[in-house]
Amino acid sequence: MATPEEAAYDKFLERVRRTVYIDELTPLATTPVIESAFNQFGTVKKVSFIPNFLGPKELPMSVLVEMETEDMAQAVISTVSQLPFMVAGMPRPVRASAAEPNMFVDRPKKPGRTIRFRWIEPNDPDFDKARRMKRLARKHTAENSFMLKKQLEEAEKLSKQQSETALTHHKKFEMMDKLLNDGVAQKLADRYSMKCFPYR
Amino acid sequence: MEESVVASEGLEFKWGKKKGVGGKKKDVQFYESFIYDGDEYRLYDCVLVGDASPDSTEPFIGMIIKIWEHANKHIPRKVKLLWFFKPSEIAPYLEGVPDVLANELFLASGEGLGLANTNLLEAIGGKCSVLCISKDKRNPQPSDEKINSADFVFRRSFDVKHCKVVDTIDDKIAGVDVKFIFNRACSEKEATAAQNIEADVNGNSDSLKPNGPLASGSGRKIEDNHFESSDCKKSSNGCIQEKEKGHYQLATKKATVAEERSNKDSGSRGNHFDGKAQESEVKKQLTKQKSMPAEERYSNSFEASGSRIIHSTSRKAQVNDVKKQLTKQKSMPAEERYSKESSGLDYRPLKKQKLDGSVTVPDGRNTTLLQNITSDGKKDTGSFKRPRDKVTIEEVPPEKRSFVKKRDLGVSVSEGKTTKTVTEKGLSKKPSFGRAEDKMLADDNERNYQVTEVCRRPDAGKSKWFRSLPWEESMREAEKKGTVVLLQNLDPTYTSDEVEDIVYSALNEQCEARMIERTSVTIPHVGEALVIFKTREVAERVIRRLDEGCLLLSSGRPLVASFAKITPPGKPSSFSGHIKLHKTQTRREMRDAVATSHCSQPNNLEFDMAMEWCLHQARHEQASESVSKRQLEEMKLLRINFKPKLP
Repeated sequence: MATPEEAAYDKFLERVRRTVYIDELTPLATTPVIESAFNQFGTVKKVSFIPNFLGPKELPMSVLVEMETEDMAQAVISTVSQLPFMVAGMPRPVRASAAEPNMFVDRPKKPGRTIRFRWIEPNDPDFDKARRMKRLARKHTAENSFMLKKQLEEAEKLSKQQSETALTHHKKFEMMDKLLNDGVAQKLADRYSMKCFPYR
Repeated sequence: MEESVVASEGLEFKWGKKKGVGGKKKDVQFYESFIYDGDEYRLYDCVLVGDASPDSTEPFIGMIIKIWEHANKHIPRKVKLLWFFKPSEIAPYLEGVPDVLANELFLASGEGLGLANTNLLEAIGGKCSVLCISKDKRNPQPSDEKINSADFVFRRSFDVKHCKVVDTIDDKIAGVDVKFIFNRACSEKEATAAQNIEADVNGNSDSLKPNGPLASGSGRKIEDNHFESSDCKKSSNGCIQEKEKGHYQLATKKATVAEERSNKDSGSRGNHFDGKAQESEVKKQLTKQKSMPAEERYSNSFEASGSRIIHSTSRKAQVNDVKKQLTKQKSMPAEERYSKESSGLDYRPLKKQKLDGSVTVPDGRNTTLLQNITSDGKKDTGSFKRPRDKVTIEEVPPEKRSFVKKRDLGVSVSEGKTTKTVTEKGLSKKPSFGRAEDKMLADDNERNYQVTEVCRRPDAGKSKWFRSLPWEESMREAEKKGTVVLLQNLDPTYTSDEVEDIVYSALNEQCEARMIERTSVTIPHVGEALVIFKTREVAERVIRRLDEGCLLLSSGRPLVASFAKITPPGKPSSFSGHIKLHKTQTRREMRDAVATSHCSQPNNLEFDMAMEWCLHQARHEQASESVSKRQLEEMKLLRINFKPKLP
């Protein structure tokens, strides 16, 4: 009974269920990297990047990873939600969620739907409303792009802060290492007749 | 036999009945009860153990299963608590578990980490009533009254080893016979209403505060570590881990690796004190923010009361303010635009007035005039499609009669009003009202005809299989020529083909379209598409047309068009959030780890940083959600009926 259109749409929906939407990915990641990353959860059938045409340049990349079965997709989502999973770089983790039909650019048409349209005349009472709605749509886009900008700024701040902390930690540990290696710590310990734990 | 010992903290303390001695040197005295701060606690009572900070995470609930004290008075008194889990703490394992009540707890069972911990006696923050409502035969069934008045209930247990919810309760849990876990057969003086408990908890925490952030504040425990023997140290570490675990779980992360945590602790304690305090603050912030809806957070940013990370809240306040300013600014130029548009429209009513005058002359010529009018109205000199031609002819008879009316009204209105915009509005409104009053049927006819179905555009001059691959190239080229248009306010479920059809049917132009996919940064309830036209003039024409007129789609939304600003190609050189350490600074394993992908374990710095990123992500998710909710509501208010209702 299902028309070929409906059959195609159902197949598409099934594909959607098997796909995971990965976000917050570094734009430098390539297909083989992503494949090897998610092959740990199961078989990756296809990796498709979602291109970023309108957003700012520093936006993290999003990817659709199609797995072999729905269970694998579920496994990916639950693991990545619980433990921070890092792909091709540390320490910013990626984010995973179930894919939605709107995320696929090559999706088939929803069967059984016809789109209709009409032009609203300027002397129609709805014209004003339509006007306002158009303005509202533009306002919303502006709001969204502003929020996005803020997000990116905060991300930038956080990453700077983190790299500084990482650097300081590293220096600190290096210093400790050096002291112990050079025997300075041992000498000091002898001086004060303290026990110096044998580090090496 | 009672001993009264004045607790060093100044809180009243008295031992109750002794139970026995134990320990290697028989220097450990076990007790059955004690009085602390005015409350009597017995073995197998349920108590609250929580943080001293005022409004942060909720306290943990445990059942006392052992109370003891060392002969050496320097070693503080201890209790062993068998834990109850709140649903929020084991959220990931609750999938598929039916019927979790609001105040239901899960008893820890099995073996392993998280079952029970030894705590300082002073960590207890108050009593609470936990009723067992299990239908087990060994359990005395409580009355309904008692169930309603109990603070918490439990009937299932959570096996900490296998991390699963278990419906039955074993005979012995943590070495405690199950009859103590079930309700006591004799009636007990149960703790009364929840308010009392809260008062206790608050009261206790207040009284504890001057003595330093006590109850499970990581600091105290770590300092105490120095005084204790190694076993106690491990177990109090376990307590900290329990708290941290609670935090982790609240942040919905697995915490089975607390052992590694303790290893880390023993490694670098001094440094970690700061790190942990900060991190627990961060986590508290995370949980606090998760529990508060985003709107509240925005308003709370002005209060900045309980939040420790004040700079972030002030940032939020700034964001809020700036956003308000921005929206105000945006609405202002939008208004300017509106007035510009309205002035553009002025031409048409004037023209109509002029033509009105000429209409009365020959009736026979009405048809041609009308056609011209409509063509001028739409500023479209192109050839009309077949349906439209048919349609204008239909339009004629009803229009004719109303035309006269309009003219009269138009004239009278222009006399009355002064400003231009008002006349224009008056013109647009009055005639339609006039029409509505007299010619309702004509109205519907008029409106109905305009509803056209979007038909599939002919594939003239385009082969199908070239479309998807070089889209990006064709788009970049088109961008150079300036023919890329961004269509907004579409229904997000449309496909690229449908968009092309719409453009063809409504605007009579061929194009190539691509819907923008939904991502975490797009507005979920609207769709956008990039459309490439053949020439710049066509693009301009389309944009102008969609700006001045309103093309209403069956989703109830008018299309918005503008020239697209496409981000230039190329990837950024570095990704914020990925720390690049110098080659000499990294060891081989780390380099490998960076090159591939891995899950981070909670025993290192990387994990903490990852948590900060998760916090960042979660915050923004919530912010986006609240913004899009608000936007959706605003849109709904302005929703236009596609088919006008018949009166």
